[in-house]
Amino acid sequence: MANPINTFLLTDLLKGLWTTFKNQKPSLVVTEQYPRERPPVMERYRGAPRLNTHPETAETLCISCNLCALACPEQLIVVTSERNPETRRKDLTNFTYDTSRCMFCGLCEDACPVDALELTQDFEMATFTREGQIWDRQMLEEGPLPTEYRH
Amino acid sequence: MEELLSSPYLPPLVATLLIIALFPLVAGYMVLAERKVLADLQVRLGPMRVGPYGALQPLADALKLMLKEDIIPSGADKWVFWMAPVLSTFTALSAFAVLPLSDKFYVADVNIGILFILAMSSIGALGLILGGWSSNSKYSLMGSLRAAAQMVSYEVPLGFATVTGIMCAGTLSMQGIIQAQYERGVWGAFDNYLLMLIPTVLFIIAGTAETNRAPFDLPEAESEIVAGFHTEYSGFRFALYFLAEYAAIFVISGICVTLFFGGWLRPFPNVGFLETPLNVGLPVVLFAAIALACIKGATRQIITGFKLGMFGLAGAALLLAALFAVPVINPLIVGLFWFLAKVAVLVYMFIWYRGTFPRFRYDQLMDVGWKWLIPMSLGGLIVNSIAQMLARS
Repeated sequence: MANPINTFLLTDLLKGLWTTFKNQKPSLVVTEQYPRERPPVMERYRGAPRLNTHPETAETLCISCNLCALACPEQLIVVTSERNPETRRKDLTNFTYDTSRCMFCGLCEDACPVDALELTQDFEMATFTREGQIWDRQMLEEGPLPTEYRH
Repeated sequence: MEELLSSPYLPPLVATLLIIALFPLVAGYMVLAERKVLADLQVRLGPMRVGPYGALQPLADALKLMLKEDIIPSGADKWVFWMAPVLSTFTALSAFAVLPLSDKFYVADVNIGILFILAMSSIGALGLILGGWSSNSKYSLMGSLRAAAQMVSYEVPLGFATVTGIMCAGTLSMQGIIQAQYERGVWGAFDNYLLMLIPTVLFIIAGTAETNRAPFDLPEAESEIVAGFHTEYSGFRFALYFLAEYAAIFVISGICVTLFFGGWLRPFPNVGFLETPLNVGLPVVLFAAIALACIKGATRQIITGFKLGMFGLAGAALLLAALFAVPVINPLIVGLFWFLAKVAVLVYMFIWYRGTFPRFRYDQLMDVGWKWLIPMSLGGLIVNSIAQMLARS
């Protein structure tokens, strides 16, 4: 039982008021103003997939070996290629990646022998349609376009 | 024209129109202040997106409420459902008629001023009760039942505390009460050798209950009965209830300021040498500080429009500071400044309670009302009358 004098003089209530008052510190606010402020993403975070191109020639690094598609536990990667009769190499024609089924385990990027497929730190992958979740070669090479926000 | 300008009805008419036109805006910004202060107490940010630091949020809210569909539930008593928020708003706004906003700016100084306000705020409770009973919803009904019981229990200590204040002042006129405090040379709250502090504290507690604010917000307890009496209300009728609630808070704070905190008098109204520092210095410094804070806030904004808005606010605050520095205008507005400043402090306290105290259980509410507040307010009345009599003899 609380001290009756304290109850009568409302000191308990005043103590409570003081506790809430002294706890208002702007430095403790953890709210992020999201589209304006971007949260820091961890270095090893696995987000949107990207198909790397050669920085100078802009040709794809992918050699169409299909190892990523084989490594994928969800089997959501489809690599299509055709044999180039001159170089005897496989030329990549299309590369689809279904991000709606992806669990971002990263096995595909581990499997890639030439570091062509990579999971980036980009996390804004929402689309308005289910079909939009299936990324083709162009989308994978260019990456998702940065969303423009007008506040 | 000459006749119109010299008419004795012109100043009250202008004051009425000003209050009715401006109060919805003031109520909107009270809501914003409440959300911001609560956010501060809970270490959040509060509204930040509409305007710089959410400064235009009230306008967006008002627009949204006006455009929303106005639903009347089937089975509701249409006329009562329609009239209830109107009743609440009407009574809450009409209480402003006798509120002494300043020595120059008020609608009317009636010789039964405070009685009128108490009557109006009691009728305002009917608005909540009728609104809940006519909605044909169990939550609304529960809220209204609670409102009815709460109003009855808390009118009594509120009335006793008010009577103690009136007894100390010796008049029912709102301006007269302030004048009496000037003549006695002390604010009502510290009169009778600090014994008046008892009714002051009781008035604030009972006033919180009377306006249905946390921790006495049982009629609209969100976590228990959705939204209590206004569960079924939407759109503009809901806005009317909101307006009535904030008007009631303003009025209760206004009565408290008038009865116990000297109304539009400055602190220490009888100490001559404090006149210039308090009546000129303090407002000027205060508004200049607000302007500085606005400029500091403007530098943090990245959007040009928001930046300009903050500079505009800073300019307005500087203009107010300049107005208070002009010797001709100062006496006209300084009363209003003190009254609104004191009301603002009390309104801040109301928000502070909401951020601190958990809601009472129904039986605890009744317990506090009947077993503590009523005997204590009665005791406060008796003790103060004895002190008054001893001082007179």
